[in-house]
Parts: sequence; C-alpha cells; structure tokens
Amino acid sequence: MTRLARHLPGLLPFAAAIAFWLVLPQAIDYPTYMLPPLGQVIDRIGESVMDGSLALHVRDSLWRLALGFAIGNGIAIPLGVAIAMNRHVSDLLRPLLTFLQSIAGIAWVPLAIIWFGIGMGSVVFVIANTIFFASIHNTVTGVQSIPNTLHRAVRSHGGSGVQVLTELVLPGALVQIILGLRTSMAYGWRALVAGEMIAGTSGLGYMTIEAVQWYKTETILMGMIVIGLLWLALDRILFVPLENATIRRWGMIRR
Amino acid sequence: MSTVLAASPPPMSRRLARPAKGALGLVLFLALWQASVPLVGLEPYFYPAPADVWRAFLDLVTKGILPVYLIDSIGRYAGGVAIGTVLGIACGLAIGISRLADRTLSPAINFLFAIVEVAWIPIFVIWFGYGFKTILIALTYVVFFPMLYNTLVGVRTVPQVLVNAALSLGATRLQLLREVILPAVLPNIITGFRVGAGFAFRGLIFAEIVAAKSGIGYLIFEGAANHQTARTIVGMIVMGLLWLGIDNLYLKPVERMTVERWGSVTTAERRE
Repeated sequence: MTRLARHLPGLLPFAAAIAFWLVLPQAIDYPTYMLPPLGQVIDRIGESVMDGSLALHVRDSLWRLALGFAIGNGIAIPLGVAIAMNRHVSDLLRPLLTFLQSIAGIAWVPLAIIWFGIGMGSVVFVIANTIFFASIHNTVTGVQSIPNTLHRAVRSHGGSGVQVLTELVLPGALVQIILGLRTSMAYGWRALVAGEMIAGTSGLGYMTIEAVQWYKTETILMGMIVIGLLWLALDRILFVPLENATIRRWGMIRR
Repeated sequence: MSTVLAASPPPMSRRLARPAKGALGLVLFLALWQASVPLVGLEPYFYPAPADVWRAFLDLVTKGILPVYLIDSIGRYAGGVAIGTVLGIACGLAIGISRLADRTLSPAINFLFAIVEVAWIPIFVIWFGYGFKTILIALTYVVFFPMLYNTLVGVRTVPQVLVNAALSLGATRLQLLREVILPAVLPNIITGFRVGAGFAFRGLIFAEIVAAKSGIGYLIFEGAANHQTARTIVGMIVMGLLWLGIDNLYLKPVERMTVERWGSVTTAERRE
C-alpha cells in the first residue's frame, strides 16, 4: 500500500466531524452559542490571523513557555545532579522534593497571583515551578541509577571528581534527563494554558477563557484548535528528533 | 542508589537512617520557613508562617469545611477516573483489534489527545455550566485518552504468532480476548492508568479552581482571593498529601500486583 493510501483513512474522522458540524445546524434547533457554525469559526480564525491578534497570543504563550522551561530546567538539572551525587543531601531532600512535586503546578497559581500579581510573572513562575519539579525528579533518578561499579571503575583508573561528572554521571543520566525534559514540557504546557486562564492578561489560555464570559464560542473553538496543533508541532519539532538522536540511538527506548 | 548493587539487604542502621534523614529534611524546611518570617517582615497574607497555616488548618477542620471539601474532591476524582478508565479500555480494545479502525481513528485520537484537558474546560463550561457535571466530564476526558492510547499500543504489539496459535487451537474470539490479548495488554493499561490518574489529579484541582464552589482546588483559589493565604497553603498541603496517599496506597499496589501477577517488570524507576 502506498503511503498516501495508508494515511487516507485517517482523514475520514476529520471529514465526518466537519460534515456533521455543517449539517447539525440545519437538522436541529439549538442556540448558536453552544456550537457556532463552522463558517463562523473559520471567519474568526481568518480575522484573528489577519489582524495579528492570534499571532500575538501565540507569541506571548510561546515566550512564557520558553522562559519557564529555561528557568525550570536551568535550575533543576544542575541542582538535581548535585543532590544525587551526594547521598546525604539526597536522603535529606528526597521526601521534601517528592512532596513538593505532588503539589507542583496549577495549585501554585493563586499564591503566585499574590506574590507577582496578575500577568507575566505569575504565569512564568507557575510554568517554571511545574517544570522544575518534573525535571529534578528525573535527573535525580537518572544519576542514581548509574551502577556504583562504574563509579568505582572510574575512580580506580584515577579519574578525578570532575571526570566522574563529565565522563560518567552526565552521559549516564542523559537519557533520563531527556525523558525528563519531555515529561516536564508536557506538564509545563498544561501549566501554561491553565496559568494563563487564571492569571493571564494575554496568551492562548487567556484568549480562550476570556471568550467564555462573552459566549464567543467560536473563539473558544479556535483556541482549542490552535492549542492542539501547537502542541503537536512542538512535540514533533523539538522532542521527536531529540529522542531519535539520543534515546533511540542508544537503544533505550521504553514504550 | 548504591543499594542497587548490594546483593544482601542494606544494614539495619542505614535502612532506618534514610527515612529519619528525610524527616529531618522536612523539619529543617519548616524551621527555616518559620525563622524566615520575622526576618522577611512581610504581611501574613503575603508570606504566612507555618504557625498561621496550622491555625488555619485547625479552623477549617473545626468549622467542618475541610472534610466536606475533601469528600467532594475525592468523589469527583473517583467518578471521573472510573468512567474514563472503563471507556478508554473498551474503546482501546475495540479499535486495537481492527487494523482498519486503528488506521482510521489514530490521527483523530492523536489530535484530540493534543488538545489538553485544560483547554476543554471553557467549552465544557459553555455546554454543561459550572459545577459537578463539567468537572466529571473533564476528568473522564483526561483519563480516557491515556487509557485508550496505551491500550491501543498494547493490542498493536501483541505478537501475531500468539493470536494465530490461540486461533488454530480452536479459541473463540472471546477466549482470544480473555486469554491472550487482555493479559498481554495489561501492563500497558496500568501505565495508561498511572499517567491518566496523575494528569487527572492536576485536572481536578484546575477544574475546581475554574468551575466549582467546593473542593480542595476551590479552597486554594478562594483563600488567595480573600487574602486568607494560610488557607491556600492548607489547601496545597492537603492536595499534596492526598496525591501521595492515592499514589502510595492505590496506584503503586495496583501496579505491583499486576506486574507480579503477569511477571512483566517494565519500570526502570523501581531500581531506586
């Protein structure tokens, strides 16, 4: 079967959904705000693209995500490695980290609003917080799963502390760290949308929740479609190649 | 951890020492927090002390607010997870058994999976209003997709030889499902369940913040909105304990049971 023919059936549900959506308003009577006609949603998307407002929301959201991702991982990975390499420190901190990880994310939004006010600061704080705890857990696990024999081997061959770090710990934990990057991104993405809905002044989440107040359902649907497409794009562009280059290459794929 | 290598169990002193050190870490954290309050010198609504949080906790318990909220949250969570799990497994099996159905529906499923549950909540609010129905449906949605997805992957990876063997030995369709496919898919189902249950818990808190008038998420939000920040922190701590409780008392035992039963250890995390 050719590539095209294999993918063709996959388009059917989308076609069916669109057909259903087109026929429904004719078939039964219901208030338009429940599900506006497809044409309206397309018009709305067209307008928002043309006047640039959609691009602004997307830009704001992606910028916050990038900032939160960089801050969260920038602290989590070095700290995670440092914690994991010292048994006393990791014993001391592990339960605390486990506990904080279990409340990480959306639950911090109300507190973040008190600390940083509505807007950028709160949203970035929540994303960074979410990503930090998802990532540090994976980093610590990755470092600690390196067998002790290897530590002793490097040491007995005269490796210094720095060499243990660069030659053993970092490469050994890399797969787990990359898994952590991806997992943390999935949580961070939810935190972004949720954070913008509660504490945002712009961005995709804000755009979507704002529309609820005015019953502008076509904007809500546009928001959902963009959120879905953007996540698929992020995942395909960033993480699938990264995984191919690392995890798959070292034969450690786990799914 | 170094214990990975130890063929014999670690000496008693170390096994005791680790939880003790962990507890010490928690106590140190609380002590630092309490000590930092006078140093920082901020308003209690901006930076409450552990003592304030404890008072708020006692207050919420004696007024009977916390137990009611807790029961509401647990009820919504259990309902959503149960419905989502059953629907997800059923659809996953149905789609997975037919190659054509798989090929037809997978792109749509991938797309719906990418629209995170958080993004569905606004439209659920439009359709079902604020309250229990919206939260239940949102949680069902959160759990449904990881369940479906993992079940599907599991069914797809059952070796064809096994299916052929069972069929040529005269198995009926039902027997094939019960004796071959279900056992093979079970580890995937458990994985899906853990992922779904984790996302659903966060989804619950968010849904309660946006669309409820009770529950732990509402407590967290309402406390901050009324400048009763200590209540917010009580809510966050209760949320964390609730999740640890669910994870340790429910999810991990279920995982262990099935993994032992079917002898398919897949988790690398176990090696700690």
